[in-house]
Amino acid sequence: MRPGAFRYVSARSLDEVFENLSDFGDEATLLAGGQSLIPLMNLRLARPEVVIDLNRVPGLAGIDLVGGELRIGAMTRAVDVVTHATVTGSLPALSRATAFIGHPQIRNRTTIGGNISHADPSSELPGVLAALEGSVTLRSIRGERSVGWNDFIVSTFTNSRTADELVVDVRFPLRTGWTFAYDEVAPRHGDYPLAGICAGVQIIDGVVRDMRIVAVGVSDRPVVLSEVAQASIGRELDEALIMQLSKMGREEFRANGDAHASSEYRKWLVGTLIKRILGNFALEPR
Amino acid sequence: MTASIDAQRPSLVGSSVRRVNDPRLLTGSGRFVDDISLPGTLHAFILRSTVAHGRLISFEFGESPADLVLGPDDIAASTEPLPFVWIAPDQQHLDLPMGDKTVRYVGQPLGITVARTRAEAEDAAELVEMTIDQFPGVADSLAALEADAPLLYPEHGSNLAVDFNIGDDSDVLEAAMAAAPIIVSRRLRIPRIAPSPMETRGLLAEWNVGTEKLTVWMSTQTPHHVRDQLAHVLRLRTDQVRIISGDVGGGFGAKEHLYPDEVMVCLASIRLGVPVKWVEDRNEHFTATCHARDAVHDARLAMTEDGVFLAIHTKVTGNLGAHFSNVGSGPFRVSGLMLPGPYRVVNAGAKISGVFTNTTPTGAYRGFGMQEAAWVRERLVDEAARELGIDPLELRLRNVISSEELPRLTPTFQEYDSGDYGRSLTMVRDRVREHVPLVDANPRIRRGIGFATHVEFTGLGPSVMQEIVGFRLGGYETAIVRMEPDGSVYVSSGVMGMGQGIETTLAQLAADCLGVDMGRVSVHLGDTAQAPYSAAGSIASRSMTVGGGAVVTAANTLREKILRIAAHRLEASAQDLVITEGRVCIKGDSSAGISLEELAEYSWLGWKLPEGETPDLEVKFVHDPSNISYPYATHAAAVAVDLDTGQIQIERYWVAHDSGVVVNPRIVDGQIAGGVAQGLGIALFEKVLYEENGQPNSTTFLDYLIPLASDVPDMVMDHFETPAPHIPGGMKGVGEGGTIVAPVAIGNAIAAAVPEIAGLILETPLSPGRLWELLRISGLINE
Amino acid sequence: MNAPQTVMAIRLLVNGVQVEREVEVRTLLSTFLRDDLGLTGTHVACEHGVCGSCTILVDSQPVRSCLLLAVQADGTNVETVEGLGSVGSLSPLQNAMWREHGLQCGFCTPGILMSIEGEARSGASAEAICDEVLSGHLCRCTGYQNIRTAIHAYFATKDES
Repeated sequence: MRPGAFRYVSARSLDEVFENLSDFGDEATLLAGGQSLIPLMNLRLARPEVVIDLNRVPGLAGIDLVGGELRIGAMTRAVDVVTHATVTGSLPALSRATAFIGHPQIRNRTTIGGNISHADPSSELPGVLAALEGSVTLRSIRGERSVGWNDFIVSTFTNSRTADELVVDVRFPLRTGWTFAYDEVAPRHGDYPLAGICAGVQIIDGVVRDMRIVAVGVSDRPVVLSEVAQASIGRELDEALIMQLSKMGREEFRANGDAHASSEYRKWLVGTLIKRILGNFALEPR
Repeated sequence: MTASIDAQRPSLVGSSVRRVNDPRLLTGSGRFVDDISLPGTLHAFILRSTVAHGRLISFEFGESPADLVLGPDDIAASTEPLPFVWIAPDQQHLDLPMGDKTVRYVGQPLGITVARTRAEAEDAAELVEMTIDQFPGVADSLAALEADAPLLYPEHGSNLAVDFNIGDDSDVLEAAMAAAPIIVSRRLRIPRIAPSPMETRGLLAEWNVGTEKLTVWMSTQTPHHVRDQLAHVLRLRTDQVRIISGDVGGGFGAKEHLYPDEVMVCLASIRLGVPVKWVEDRNEHFTATCHARDAVHDARLAMTEDGVFLAIHTKVTGNLGAHFSNVGSGPFRVSGLMLPGPYRVVNAGAKISGVFTNTTPTGAYRGFGMQEAAWVRERLVDEAARELGIDPLELRLRNVISSEELPRLTPTFQEYDSGDYGRSLTMVRDRVREHVPLVDANPRIRRGIGFATHVEFTGLGPSVMQEIVGFRLGGYETAIVRMEPDGSVYVSSGVMGMGQGIETTLAQLAADCLGVDMGRVSVHLGDTAQAPYSAAGSIASRSMTVGGGAVVTAANTLREKILRIAAHRLEASAQDLVITEGRVCIKGDSSAGISLEELAEYSWLGWKLPEGETPDLEVKFVHDPSNISYPYATHAAAVAVDLDTGQIQIERYWVAHDSGVVVNPRIVDGQIAGGVAQGLGIALFEKVLYEENGQPNSTTFLDYLIPLASDVPDMVMDHFETPAPHIPGGMKGVGEGGTIVAPVAIGNAIAAAVPEIAGLILETPLSPGRLWELLRISGLINE
Repeated sequence: MNAPQTVMAIRLLVNGVQVEREVEVRTLLSTFLRDDLGLTGTHVACEHGVCGSCTILVDSQPVRSCLLLAVQADGTNVETVEGLGSVGSLSPLQNAMWREHGLQCGFCTPGILMSIEGEARSGASAEAICDEVLSGHLCRCTGYQNIRTAIHAYFATKDES
């Protein structure tokens, strides 16, 4: 399989990106890590007229803590997110989730912005973004806007970026007093998960003050298990509660089934992962 | 065989010498098809059906930018139908007409475009308009037998293509079953598998307009067979076609015959008078290259109340795909032939049905019916053990044929040759007893160990048997062993390398027989202009046993000639001579001798030869074995099953095998390890998926999962050697055994770990989702 | 601003040698290395980034060459298996693979060698390479066991020297 013909520009500045986006609109595709896009182009399932390569645009990569948010430039490579001290120090769940992406050879190229924009329903990072109620920053010649994850990730492989916009960073608002974790079940090491959970909890004096649970791989976008989270508030995170939440988690949503996994199985995995993650939270010293 | 060699020099047989072709493979200097380039080469793309069943009503390409476009009418007019190779009783179709405009599977090749680059050939293909009138399609073999199923060949009135019995007559068998006190019967399934060698198919075809000869560099396991078929199909003489197979990136059976798309590429070269290259891409490989397995077995094992086996039978419903492959129903047949395994049964047989469906044709893949037989038989044995309350190993030991009873003819007409089947069982049993299982605090992790054993059909031959069973391939192999004028040794054989190290092991045999260093021996394979004719090539685990047997005899015969000439030169008796360190010497007096270089130089001059001896230090020997070679093995797997997720980890794996004389232990262990990994894939991950109407859903490595390093444990491998009594050198085949037994060893282990679901372990893959379903049905999902 | 092109000139280092070529922008890096430069040691087995056979080093990182356009490699330092060693002079890693029978058909081998080389250089442990890195490669022949043994053998020789 070889790609169809297209034109290519290696953008050297944001202005160049915007000019090309405004000239070509829907006919243009942005090339970030290429780990999802190029297979589609090789299979001729993606047929862009113009490919705008972002890899030489300066200033789009970086990991910073700004005003209580973990801000990661869109072109930051997955491999760097896994190991960077700022990430492991402030949001280790993100590092862990990113480490689940494929294999090291893929993570050397995958970008955060590209991964989240691709909106693969089985992808880990949109789940972490949803758990932290994070946002992406979109920029165009018209200016800059912040879009919450819920508005940005629309459906399978569909986001709300308009044709002239570029994702420039991804932001995870940090929550003091919370602990977050990520876990998943996949057929083989590095595969897309059959189901994944990003969960966070705030426990004060042994009692759950707040909780947030998001599932990936079970629907066309991350699923927020708000009823499960709600049921935990004011309760002790003990075995009885965990079992109850696990059971609720299995029932709260409708899961997709496919050749790899039935919907019942995915729902079951959600429950199991809730049990595992919350069980680990319960073990942590206060 | 190692007789007149210096006793102090260690034998090369049984030595794990390093492989001779590795340096070039490790440095990226291999010669795979796509590595070969010729000036002026154009590149092809094959147009294929995207519809599972229909009629191509138009193929329009107008003013194409391509250098060439060929459609089905052109292809049909320019070719003879491609003959099938293994013909079943009463099989109606004997060949495959090319350019058939009835489309019967997604991936069926319909035409070809040729352009300057592959990308441009794909561009040109997009401009070809193919209109296909769609018919309903059917993918499942049982569904294809139902009354209202769409018919692939309406003129036959049914999708049932072949239907025959093997082994004991059915009335004898049914009587045995009826009389048996206990019968364990199950419906078991083996899923459809894609062989998936890392190198896809491909060829570079060069038609020379001046000499009117076609040279084809091809990734193939069977150069001569392909040559003969290509010549026939293209209406050329055999001498006009030359196949050169260099390095082959895995075959496993997928590359053992000529495919129609390969014919189209050669036709394109003939039309254009320039070299044309085609390399299959992975995406098309999943529908264009033969699949394998896909059989339903309704099987019964009959026994006494004490668990003494009496009879075994299976009714096989095998999915042929859209048309017969080269081997057609052959794998289904072999699953019946090898069904009895190592057990002493009075009666055995199988009813074989082959069914057409709108899917890629099924053909050969490592194990060839034996993996299916092992799955069926060893699951039945374990289920019998469970029902009778007998230990599964004990039940097996009670029934295996003892070494004193061999040779023994089975009810399915296999004459098992030699060995000690029970010993492979006890060897693994003893190893497993040494193993300290991991203990988990988590009660939701269950552990178990499962066993499986088999006897394997290797060394396909003899030729007369091939004729009896309708398999149109000779069973012999020919070796040419020649000592050149400089004393180096040239070995040529009709078998082919595809990763199994045959270039090295044949050199070991020749060097060992002749008493020369490995460095002085070169093995030449794969070029039909050079290699002696092989009807069958490298299939059916025969390269070492049949091909190696030929080399051993040829090399020994050459050694005798060398010794006769040396005896004449040294005025000694041949019995008093040894070959050591490049010289022929008198035993005990290394000063009295002659170098091989000198002996060879003078012999080839025709000088100083004894009366009646010809100058050529070359022997050609045709080895047609008198029987199949039957190696055997027992495997055991230790698994951990996570009841909460359905995930399975293989924690430990044991093999004890007897494959006759082992020429290179490391290579043999590697074959078994690789085979077990493929078997693990069958057990846990692999299944080619089709929608009911024939639309394929497994078209990339993201859909079709093969094992990763993290899935495959290190294995404990033991072997012992009972030489094959009828093979010069004593080697039996070993390439397929790992794949044959591993799936059922793992299946039995899962059943042992979770006995509550044992009765439901009837098909693979036991993927997490599938296993979870069995746990759910059995009420093991807690809460 | 540069207008989007269909053909571009690229200049890069390949195994230490400066290379300058004009390429169609849709040419994959794997195709460029094999067809334009004749470096056929890098093999293509899936063209969707899963199997790992095409893995090379770009600026010292193991990456899939089938998922990079050749034009993306402009200005980079590319290393392929041909740069590791030669038939008469194998690298210690290649030697370890040879000794331990870590290859059979050899098609996936160059990609695996480059992954190991790249990760070992950046300080990964033998265990991490045997598990995480090696699992980024499909091998249909060996069952991986001997490759793991070769990796450990290679690290043992590295520690000695």
